[in-house]
Amino acid sequence: MLRAEGIVKTYRGPSAPIPVLAGVDFGVGAGEFTVIAGPSGSGKSTLLNVLGLLEDADGGTVWFRDVAVTALSRSDKGRHRGRFVGFVFQAFLLLPSLTALDNVLLAGRYVGAVKGEGRRRALMLLEQFGMGERGAHYPRELSGGEQQRVAFCRAIFNDPPLILADEPTGNLDDDNGALILKALRARAQAGGAVVVVTHRTDVIAGADAVYALENGRLRRS
Amino acid sequence: MVTLLPRLRGYLFTVIGIAVGVAGLVALGAMSERIVRFIEGGDRFVLGQISVAGRGMGMGTGFTGGGLLPAATLRAVADVPGVEGVQAQVMLPLNPTTSQFMTLTQELVMGMDLSVPSPNRHYRTLPIRSGRFLREGDRRVAVVGASFAASHGIDAGSRLALEGQDYEVVGVLERMLTAPDRFVIVPIADAREQWVTKDPMLRTLLASGGVALTASDLNTGAAVGWRNGEDPDAVALRIRERVPAVNVQIPSELSRLLRSSTAFFAALTIGISALGLTIGGLSLANTVAAAVFERIRDFGVKRALGATDLQLGREVLGEALGVTLSGGIAGIVVALGLGFGIDAWAARSGQQLFFFSARLLTGALAFSLLLGAASATYATLRVVRLSPAEAIRRGG
Repeated sequence: MLRAEGIVKTYRGPSAPIPVLAGVDFGVGAGEFTVIAGPSGSGKSTLLNVLGLLEDADGGTVWFRDVAVTALSRSDKGRHRGRFVGFVFQAFLLLPSLTALDNVLLAGRYVGAVKGEGRRRALMLLEQFGMGERGAHYPRELSGGEQQRVAFCRAIFNDPPLILADEPTGNLDDDNGALILKALRARAQAGGAVVVVTHRTDVIAGADAVYALENGRLRRS
Repeated sequence: MVTLLPRLRGYLFTVIGIAVGVAGLVALGAMSERIVRFIEGGDRFVLGQISVAGRGMGMGTGFTGGGLLPAATLRAVADVPGVEGVQAQVMLPLNPTTSQFMTLTQELVMGMDLSVPSPNRHYRTLPIRSGRFLREGDRRVAVVGASFAASHGIDAGSRLALEGQDYEVVGVLERMLTAPDRFVIVPIADAREQWVTKDPMLRTLLASGGVALTASDLNTGAAVGWRNGEDPDAVALRIRERVPAVNVQIPSELSRLLRSSTAFFAALTIGISALGLTIGGLSLANTVAAAVFERIRDFGVKRALGATDLQLGREVLGEALGVTLSGGIAGIVVALGLGFGIDAWAARSGQQLFFFSARLLTGALAFSLLLGAASATYATLRVVRLSPAEAIRRGG
């Protein structure tokens, strides 16, 4: 489903360029739960961002269903993200001015989701993740675990075939972490492709494939 | 609306910031408008009539030249081709101390010959706020300007003492933001009596019997009209040529003179307006741009969720316009509140500092919206240049 070849990324440093990805090749298929592990600063998040078209690489190509999505225009990249990719971030990244329900609905706004249907689906997802009573609450009124559950509902609202999760359990207690991991695995079992970036061993356990990112290169473990 | 309200609540400080900027802009603009109205009002008055005064060396009062303008001279003026209507007038300083002369706020007594309709094309009648205007045959009654009424605490029905005589105030003029605001208008016969009472030299002259003067000769000036189709400047020049011993003001010359004498105020107006636009505009632009930059992470998230540049731009612009409109309206309300409050206090001394014209309020709102939209567009263009990941990082 998703394939990347020769991904190169270098950041500008204060004195010299900092190479982060030095020709990374990667692939994930439908129904696969893949983990990319590595120490902090190894470039895991950068790789995930490049795979999800959240930032451009300096070199290399990303294909999604055999379409070279890295060559798309800025607008088409936006449409691609909205339609095909669900993101789960470590910091949840809910919009503070929106309620939990509106945060979930936000995912549908840019892909032309039908209002009434979207609302029903958002409520159903919140209910499914035990947040049915908290739809009218603002993020500041929710715990970290609750916020991540809302963020997960947002990520799967458009039923994207690809989920990219960056340290999704990094800010959660064990129970909430386990709940999110279970949901991610369920997405893979349902036929989706799931890529999780983490340094936690409990996430690695049970993955279909585990990669380690070291010195800018990806190695399958 | 349901989703807009919480969002506007999130923008509360932005709205307050914009309101402060717009309030400054509107308040300074209203002060500028006040000055403009004063200058334009005078200009409109002098361009509506030819002012004729008796030639003399006396201190000028209002639009007169200080000399006598006898009845025979008025008749000669009326006979000049092109002239239509000559209204004798007496203009006197209410308070003839030297410190009151030649000030823009001098209070004047104006005696009008009510048997002749006003020849001033721009002021056929003066607008009355309460009571009535003078009628032919009235004696010992007065109509006062709005500022005069406010500073002396009088209204229609009040009594007023002028040169030891008791007058009934029968009317108060609408505020005109120019000279008549400080006038006390009385029948010309009453004004003539006041003149004689005020002026010892004139009194001595009349008592001596050395000059043949009747009451109808005691005029300080006249408002002269012109027939339709006549060039007022040409008629004024004709009067100057044909009637001896008069000072004739050429309307366009007087207008120029008035404008040059008020050049300082015109410059002040431009300065105040420029200051208002700069301070208010900068404050507003800065507030709107800062509000967009503050939400840089939100925009990163939205782009991650699939928002295109166009969708995001439209959304930001819509919100910026909503917020600017709210802030603009709030700012106008604040400025109106401040202005009316200050004016209520200033009215006790007959002053009005602000004039909130419709063009000022709509202009300020339009300016705010345009500037808000421009600032939001600029900030959005800066934000969308970043990748979604960079926007999220910077906003974190």
